[in-house]
Amino acid sequence: MTDPASDQPVMSFRDVVKVYPLPAGDVTALDHVTFQVDRGEFISIMGPSGSGKSTLLNLMGCLDTATSGDIYISGTRTGDMSDRDLTNLRRDRIGFIFQYFNLFPLLNIIENVTFPMMLKSQRSVDPERGREVLRAVALDDSLFTHTPMELSGGQQQRVAVARALINDPDILLCDEPTGNLDSKTGAGIMDLMTELNRKGTTIIMVTHDQHIADYSHRTIRIADGRIVE
Amino acid sequence: MIFWEIAKRNTKIHLLRSFLAMLGIVIGVVAISTMGILGNSMVLAVTDSLHTVGDSVIVTPHTGGTSRGFGGGGGGLTSLKITDQQLQQIKRASAPNVAIPVLQTSDRMKFGVGQNEIVAPIYGINPDDVPDLLKLTDGGYSRAGSGALIGSQFAKDNNLKVGSRISIGTDGDKGTLRVTGIIEERGMAFDVSTDSAIVVTKDWFDSTYNRDDYDKVVVKVKNLDDLPIITAAIEKQLNKRDKVVDVMDTRKTMATIFQAFGQITTFVSAIGGISMIVAGVSILNIMMMSVTERIKEIGIMRSIGAQRREVMSMFIYEALILGIVGSAIGGVLSLLGGYAVSSLMLQTTKYLLVPSSLVSIVYGVSFGIIVALVCGFYPAWRAANLSPIDALRHE
Repeated sequence: MTDPASDQPVMSFRDVVKVYPLPAGDVTALDHVTFQVDRGEFISIMGPSGSGKSTLLNLMGCLDTATSGDIYISGTRTGDMSDRDLTNLRRDRIGFIFQYFNLFPLLNIIENVTFPMMLKSQRSVDPERGREVLRAVALDDSLFTHTPMELSGGQQQRVAVARALINDPDILLCDEPTGNLDSKTGAGIMDLMTELNRKGTTIIMVTHDQHIADYSHRTIRIADGRIVE
Repeated sequence: MIFWEIAKRNTKIHLLRSFLAMLGIVIGVVAISTMGILGNSMVLAVTDSLHTVGDSVIVTPHTGGTSRGFGGGGGGLTSLKITDQQLQQIKRASAPNVAIPVLQTSDRMKFGVGQNEIVAPIYGINPDDVPDLLKLTDGGYSRAGSGALIGSQFAKDNNLKVGSRISIGTDGDKGTLRVTGIIEERGMAFDVSTDSAIVVTKDWFDSTYNRDDYDKVVVKVKNLDDLPIITAAIEKQLNKRDKVVDVMDTRKTMATIFQAFGQITTFVSAIGGISMIVAGVSILNIMMMSVTERIKEIGIMRSIGAQRREVMSMFIYEALILGIVGSAIGGVLSLLGGYAVSSLMLQTTKYLLVPSSLVSIVYGVSFGIIVALVCGFYPAWRAANLSPIDALRHE
């Protein structure tokens, strides 16, 4: 894996095609998609249902591989990487934020946040780093030893953001991060995202809410597997 | 490690489910271990009750293979006694080892005025041969015709000691014998079972019961490697044309007995093993359920950087916890099970804590853990190989 260089695009798609072979016939989910994301950008991806947003998110998150074309994450071509290397890339370079928070119900808040750190270090970690990140996302100290089920949706999403940030990723990938929150709580999360971006975190966010997309600096619109804007 | 912690917490949070999975393992371990303990205790009990240490060749008249009953019938080429001539042939074939002719009957006897008559076995053995065959706990060997040795159980049951008198026959019509020694307990034996019997001199036996032949000949073999050679030599000498005598190598017979017990133990343990297979299926089922319930969680773990082997380890740990805890409980309960079964079937628990019995528990516990691991492997492998995308989409 190459070291991320500050002048290198943090993510780059070159002529990427993704085809799903189905019994009824092949479905082209992404059709020759080319774009790049520079370090420190805040991008939203918008498009109607079935336009290819999820496929694009999966490819950006190294959860899936392209049928053709090249994808680079911080200068590293992902096409030929093994499952093990892709997993390490996700762990070290990408932070995921999901619509439904997706915290681990059996772990408390500190354990949830430090989980990716433990994956990286392969041993128990100093919980102080987890506390620092949780404080950075404005979560009250008294909640740190609670389980996710004891927290509100907004608090859970803050924990999810902290977990995504714990390994200092190059990119934060967000899938409808406010989709499961009321507008006030959602606005709080978006303010947090804006603040993180202001401090240098690259954010790519999939949404169909124009109001949420307005927080980003650039919007990629996608329709029928092609970038239209 | 965090995956061990998750496995532990998941087992705890689904306590009833985990308990049911463990219960299968507990039953399996108890079944295997208890059957093993029972089998081993049976072998030890038989070993203890068999005095014969496998150093003898026993020659008896051939009785098998015809319609003739044990004591009835007659005629033909075979005889139900061993003649003096046959004894000499046996002695020649087994030289320089000692061949001890034994006479045997049973008769009424009484121990004092007002006492009830009982019927007990009587052995007639040449006084010179007795020390080669029997050990005494009290008194001494007697050469006098009126002297008798008695078995330890016989002495205890009838309250007899050295010097006591025994009247033989109905109202003592065959004479009175004086106890000169108490024979050490021998249990059940291939040669002579003297615990509840009396041993008299051959001369007294001959004159009292008008006998000039023998019921069996016991050859005490000094070098155990000679056992098959002597057996073959006696067979060759006496059964040249027709089968006249049955020749039994006690070591071989004991080996056959132990082999049979070993097979019985294996068989009953295998029946116990069936319950372990059922337990394994239960674990497989519960682990599959656990994987299905946690597909989304697996997807999240994989997406944020957990390797396949780490996801797999989490489920293997879970199976291991079920296996270890279930097997440990089963191991402890096996002791109770072994105690109960031994008490019930053998009327003794003295073989429960011997190493050869305890090893059955080790086998049972190990088998329990292995079954849990093997049955947890497939669900764990399946979890590890789920596509992260499909797992994340799972509702």
